[in-house]
Amino acid sequence: MTGTIGQHELSQMFRSAAARIRERHGELSVLDSVSGDGDHGTTMLRIVDQLDIAQSSSEPKTILHDAGWKILNVDGGASSSLLGTFFLGMTEAPECNSPLDCPALAATFEAGLAAVSKQTRARPGDKTMMDALVPAIESLRAAVHAGKSVVEAMQDAAGAARAGAESTSGLTARFGRAKFLGEKTRGHQDPGAASIALLFEGFSMALAESKETQ
Amino acid sequence: MRMKKFINRPENIVPELLEGLALAFPDKVRLTGSNLIARAVPKSKDKVALVTLGGSGHEPGLSGFVGEGMLDASVAGEIFAAPGAPRVLEAIKLVHGDAGVLLVVLNHAGDVLSANITMDMAKREGLNVKMILTHEDISSGPKDQPEERRGLVGFLPVYKVAGAAAEQGRTLDQCLQIAQRMEQNMRTLAVAVSTATHPSTGQPIFELGDDEMEIGMGQHGEAGTGRMKLKTADETAEIMLEMLLADLEAKVGEELLVIVNGAGATTLMELLILFRRVSQVLKAKKIKLARAKVGEFITTQEQAGIQMMIARLDAELTGLWDAPCDTPYFVVR
Repeated sequence: MTGTIGQHELSQMFRSAAARIRERHGELSVLDSVSGDGDHGTTMLRIVDQLDIAQSSSEPKTILHDAGWKILNVDGGASSSLLGTFFLGMTEAPECNSPLDCPALAATFEAGLAAVSKQTRARPGDKTMMDALVPAIESLRAAVHAGKSVVEAMQDAAGAARAGAESTSGLTARFGRAKFLGEKTRGHQDPGAASIALLFEGFSMALAESKETQ
Repeated sequence: MRMKKFINRPENIVPELLEGLALAFPDKVRLTGSNLIARAVPKSKDKVALVTLGGSGHEPGLSGFVGEGMLDASVAGEIFAAPGAPRVLEAIKLVHGDAGVLLVVLNHAGDVLSANITMDMAKREGLNVKMILTHEDISSGPKDQPEERRGLVGFLPVYKVAGAAAEQGRTLDQCLQIAQRMEQNMRTLAVAVSTATHPSTGQPIFELGDDEMEIGMGQHGEAGTGRMKLKTADETAEIMLEMLLADLEAKVGEELLVIVNGAGATTLMELLILFRRVSQVLKAKKIKLARAKVGEFITTQEQAGIQMMIARLDAELTGLWDAPCDTPYFVVR
């Protein structure tokens, strides 16, 4: 299929991302205990609960808006503020008013990233979620140029997010509470970046499965 | 060691503690909306209102300072985590009168994010809100990078003087200027001697050797700058005060407000012994100890340690500090 992402696929993506976080939340808390207060995994659990309940609407824009607003309401510190901003920001893209083909998918995710970039000064290299998020979204745009399907594009994005998360092991934290630990954070992945990789892997697995069943 | 805390279910800690606060001080505060703490009797609509936000687990900060002469509403987040922007916006709308709202934010990444998102939303809705960021912790950033410095117990004098100015009917811009002057003239330094348990996870938030202390430790176990063998009260007070005085560039004859804040497990006995030395050193340096507070204003569970704050006062700030207030954990009559 060339395929588009509509209400059904987006719901599947959210559910799958939530499942992926639930599978691995323990690891996220362990990573966070190196540099923070060790609660990132439980915070992410509360965040992805919102992805499960934000699925009753009809068009991508409404689903994304509901998800973003509910995540902002989670009280999960920087994680929920940035992820909520990410999904809310996606709704700024006019393309998300109808089912998303590959260019619309890239544009929608780019709008989410733009909103996040406005709220944080963190950029790739600072050992934050941006190290996974930025390459993931760049690879969506690259997939558009390569004429790939939404399934392939999301596979690429998940791979880029995972590679980005892994690259944070070699970095020194410069943002958030972790920055106060500096060099001590080397050798461990940033928990926020690891979460982004899990979310994109969840998105990708859902799209791959929905392709198989078609 | 297994966590020993009187809690029920971890997910109920925040709503239950806020409920307890409102039940304990029904004449001062009430629990309203989405777990917001607001004044029991709202101030008149023609006065500037003060709102703050921050994670829980630091009691009595921050909701313990809602009441006449200080805050109008406080938005408590989860344990050590900032509340989301929608609830901060809800609090602003709750107390927004004709004179606008001053949002007081302690400089921590999550709080600042929520506050910035809230400010964007408030602007879009045409609300009159100004924000002040407190960042007075000298250990978390050099003097020329104030944006790196965290907000610690200095929130207390900022709430106090801005709250008093608001009660006197000053404008939002005037209240902001007073808050800024207080903020720019205060410095805090923390020291930790033993860790705290995260009440949701049951895990220690940092590790510190039995015979060690760490100067510069943040409110959440963020690493500081100086880990050393445990020192006496007098030595500790001297080291910390010297660093604070140098950073503030305090001069002979100036008047200071000093706060010695217990982190949770440090006894009042120790706080008083530390304060005694602070007072002696200031006297020797001919710097006037004009006002003082010794006690627990912001804690981190059963962490042992203190935050020491000094602030330069002028006649106006002193007057505002002395003005009456009536909140659960800070009363001036």
